[in-house]
Amino acid sequence: MNVIETRQLTKTYGRKHALNQFSISVEEKKITALIGRNGAGKTTLLKLISGFDRQTSGELKVFSEKPYNNLKVSANMIFIDDNMNLPSSLNLSQLLIVANNFYDKFDLPLAERLIDYFSLPRTATHQSLSKGMKSTFNMIFGLCSRCALTIFDEPTTGMDSAVRKDFYRALLKDYIEHPRSIVLSSHLLNELIDILEEVILINKGNLIFHLPVEELKSYAIGLEGENELLEELIHSKEIIYKQHIGVKNTYLVIKNDLTKQELVKLGDSGIKVTAISPDDLCVHLTAETKGGIDDVFNQG
Amino acid sequence: MILDSDSIKPIYVQIAEWLETEILHDHIKVDEKMYSQYQLADMFTINPATAAKGITMLINEEILYKKRGLGTFVSSYAKGIILSKRKNETLNKLVEELVSEARHLEVSEKELIQLIIEANSNVKGDK
Repeated sequence: MNVIETRQLTKTYGRKHALNQFSISVEEKKITALIGRNGAGKTTLLKLISGFDRQTSGELKVFSEKPYNNLKVSANMIFIDDNMNLPSSLNLSQLLIVANNFYDKFDLPLAERLIDYFSLPRTATHQSLSKGMKSTFNMIFGLCSRCALTIFDEPTTGMDSAVRKDFYRALLKDYIEHPRSIVLSSHLLNELIDILEEVILINKGNLIFHLPVEELKSYAIGLEGENELLEELIHSKEIIYKQHIGVKNTYLVIKNDLTKQELVKLGDSGIKVTAISPDDLCVHLTAETKGGIDDVFNQG
Repeated sequence: MILDSDSIKPIYVQIAEWLETEILHDHIKVDEKMYSQYQLADMFTINPATAAKGITMLINEEILYKKRGLGTFVSSYAKGIILSKRKNETLNKLVEELVSEARHLEVSEKELIQLIIEANSNVKGDK
């Protein structure tokens, strides 16, 4: 069953298309990452899914229902971001108790153990926490609510790398015990990729791809070698990224549809073939130009 | 083992290879129960679906077999299959790379063979 289904989903703000005819189906009980640059439309999409906002056109179903103004969706879904509107009159312990009363499956003992593990002051208010601590509390809040659809919009903002690692591991462990649909948006694909099942890449409101993680690694390959050699070998290939190295050499990223013979031929002619990290792949695929930042300086 | 996220090898293949090594080292013997996808996911902090893919790969290669409702177990010819697979795939590939690298460095066939003989006797000497 699909937990999220969109068809030609479009959201405009004034003339700007924040989401443009966006169609995806997310199967239930998977961990999916939503990856994109700043302003790509990640938050817009997640807010529509959460029923916080209404689309301009197109179709959107969450748990097979329209999410906007929908009690079934709000009871089974939690949306975590860094603008969480939590009452300032309650301290952290009290917030957890309220959440425990509201969400059916909330795990209060786990929440309290996590609060202590991350050394969050139980009697402090949410507003008084530092940026990283706020994110940590929000993460605990989202994790322990155990909602059938749990959405984290850039959950790791401000967290140090030790906390981020703990977060990914906590998320995975709880997911193993209680499988549910989890969607995370993030800039940091490399460090969370191992816990994912699928990745959605979005750029300027458009879907670039929606793939299982293991296909991401073989989506593209990097080639480094002499200009003429490279051009001859890959004249018909789709180039994703190009960078000149020295006078004679070029580094190319191309879509990996090479046959085994072609790969052997590349190796034999002294061209270095490298893997492309999923993070780099996403950066290259969402770049404005094939040369990246270098192009800006080359025109001067 | 720490998984190599930078490797071109997909994580599920690395998991399958780790399981194979466990079998080769007799950590898990014939007809004994193999780790479940959830145990593997927890051990390596990976998605359970990725772990399942690694296990499925070994079932398809008849290194593991499934008992309905009980899990997966090591088949009686597991070791043989793994060894011949590693010989065919890994060793052949390494030799190909070695030969190609030797040609770039203008090492003659005779020198290369001499190098292999020396390396081999060094390894024997260590034992």
